Amino acid sequence: MRIKVMKFGGTSVGKPESRLTSALRVISAKEQGYSPVVVVSAIGRKGAPYATDTLINVLREIDPTVEPDSRELDLLLACGEILSAVIFSHTLKTLGHSAQTFRGGQAGIRTDGVYGDARIVSINPSSIQRCLDEGKIPVVCGFQGVFAPVQGAPGGELTTLGRGGSDTTGAAIGAALKAEAVEIYTDVDGVKTADPDAVKEAPTLRKVTYDEVAEIAHLGAKVVHPRAAEIAMNYGIPLWVKNTFTDDEGTEIVGRERFPGRRVTGVTHTGKLVYLQFDLGCANDADRVMLESRIYQTMAKYGISLFMLNLSPSSTGFAVPRSQYPTVENVLDGLVIPVAGEEKRIYLIQIGQHASKEVETQASLLESFGEVKRVPAQLTEGCTMVSLVGHEYMQTPGLFLDVLTTMTNGQVTVLQTTDSDYSLSVLVPEADTNRAVKLLHDRFHLAEVR
Amino acid sequence: MSTGFVAETEFEKKRGVSRVEVRHGFAQVHVSRIPVNVMGERLKVLAAVAAVGISIDFLKLTPSGMSFVVPEPVADKLAGAIEPLGIHFSVRHDRSIVLVHAVSIRDEEGMIAGIVNTAITNGIRIDHVGDMHDRMLMVVQKEDGERLASLIAVTAAAREAQPETEASDAN
Repeated sequence: MRIKVMKFGGTSVGKPESRLTSALRVISAKEQGYSPVVVVSAIGRKGAPYATDTLINVLREIDPTVEPDSRELDLLLACGEILSAVIFSHTLKTLGHSAQTFRGGQAGIRTDGVYGDARIVSINPSSIQRCLDEGKIPVVCGFQGVFAPVQGAPGGELTTLGRGGSDTTGAAIGAALKAEAVEIYTDVDGVKTADPDAVKEAPTLRKVTYDEVAEIAHLGAKVVHPRAAEIAMNYGIPLWVKNTFTDDEGTEIVGRERFPGRRVTGVTHTGKLVYLQFDLGCANDADRVMLESRIYQTMAKYGISLFMLNLSPSSTGFAVPRSQYPTVENVLDGLVIPVAGEEKRIYLIQIGQHASKEVETQASLLESFGEVKRVPAQLTEGCTMVSLVGHEYMQTPGLFLDVLTTMTNGQVTVLQTTDSDYSLSVLVPEADTNRAVKLLHDRFHLAEVR
Repeated sequence: MSTGFVAETEFEKKRGVSRVEVRHGFAQVHVSRIPVNVMGERLKVLAAVAAVGISIDFLKLTPSGMSFVVPEPVADKLAGAIEPLGIHFSVRHDRSIVLVHAVSIRDEEGMIAGIVNTAITNGIRIDHVGDMHDRMLMVVQKEDGERLASLIAVTAAAREAQPETEASDAN
């Protein structure tokens, strides 16, 4: 049996005509001798009636101040994929092909017990296999699984898989069934060298390695989630990214043994960051350690994702997603850090050039207790991390020089840099994002890459 | 037709820290006290380093300069390349890189901050922090490398030992 897993994203199942196009691709695969297994996302993207965000808003609109229970939220969110899968199955039926819908649990997907961000622990694909044996097309709801809170308990608690959940479902089902390929269908031709909004001529890469695509996704490109790439890599399943609406051959994602990689694979960007740089110059060594500790302890406590982190003897800084900045501001601006002992020093964090009302109030209240030292944090709102992704080229002497010279000559201010084995990133003002991406794309001749 | 028996398969790596490793043999270079035209002077230093064929890692910009890491064996050669520029710099020898492996580390909200806090509260000075999709990297003094690695491993193991329902509550 030649099994092919075909995962369709929101735009591929969002409208009747796009659903029909997707269904015809499944039928075409069957006619070519494959046994297709379909995995679907919820219908449509943000704003669509049954999209994930719309469903969340149904609860939020009741009372925005009351956080929905994560277990209940998962039950609600899973409805989006169930609806999508049932409609897709019926579409196949109307085209003369027998299909059967499976919720994540019915497909044998078992997860850990973390609602909203579960990890797949195991898959028993026997029900899907039986469906295939009967000549039907299984249509599996992406993004969900079940876990048993008590050994032997009936049913199972429904969980959703978090970011990249449906891609992960597709890759995992493919691995469990030893599929010949897993195809991720979307509305772009494949993995591109840059976001076409920034670089119109950005070509589609024909082959990339699992590591490259994982790093590209990590650094902002919405292609395949690293979790899906990791599963495909571990089980040696060829993974493809294809366009539902064109006949472009797409991008094949393979192991490094099959494709040694190229100098530079692409330029990605992840935006909407806020950069904070804390000036610790007012503190002695012992106090500085305490200040740093409180700052990072607070960030960890509130689950803040940090980017471009830097530490130096007189300062520390990081970027945070703009969506998390209100929390950061709430917990750090006006944070009082007293020093134990006889000296009675009190540190007070102040974000931004001008003190907020809260900081001023704190300062006047604290004056009677001892010396109040303000720790100013320079705030840069609206930043983007632009990254060059590649293989061994990252170790080439002069690469930082090349990137910084390109940015300087292009009059793009670089606020900070970071690098890893696969990437080199610069933090730039958001307004310069597309220019920075284009400058790097041109400098490394990515328009010629295939 | 299939045989009817389909074995279960284990899939995703567990969330959290899966492995910690330490790599020794690095030096960190600090370029500082550049009074004016900071980016121009930084570029001069990087050009001089590239000209002698040295690859640098972990570049960080500071208000009056920058820092970066090179393999210890090329540190002297590097110093020889920068000295003629007349720009103030220093080399910290005996640096190690601690690599913390955790799949989709950036999706694990607060994890990077938590690990940095573990180091700081235990008196370990971090010279640099970086991350990739599946790992986080920290540059520390050689003598702190192994200690930090074991502190992170112990913290991760303690978190692992928490009941699953507690973990889900935390999310």
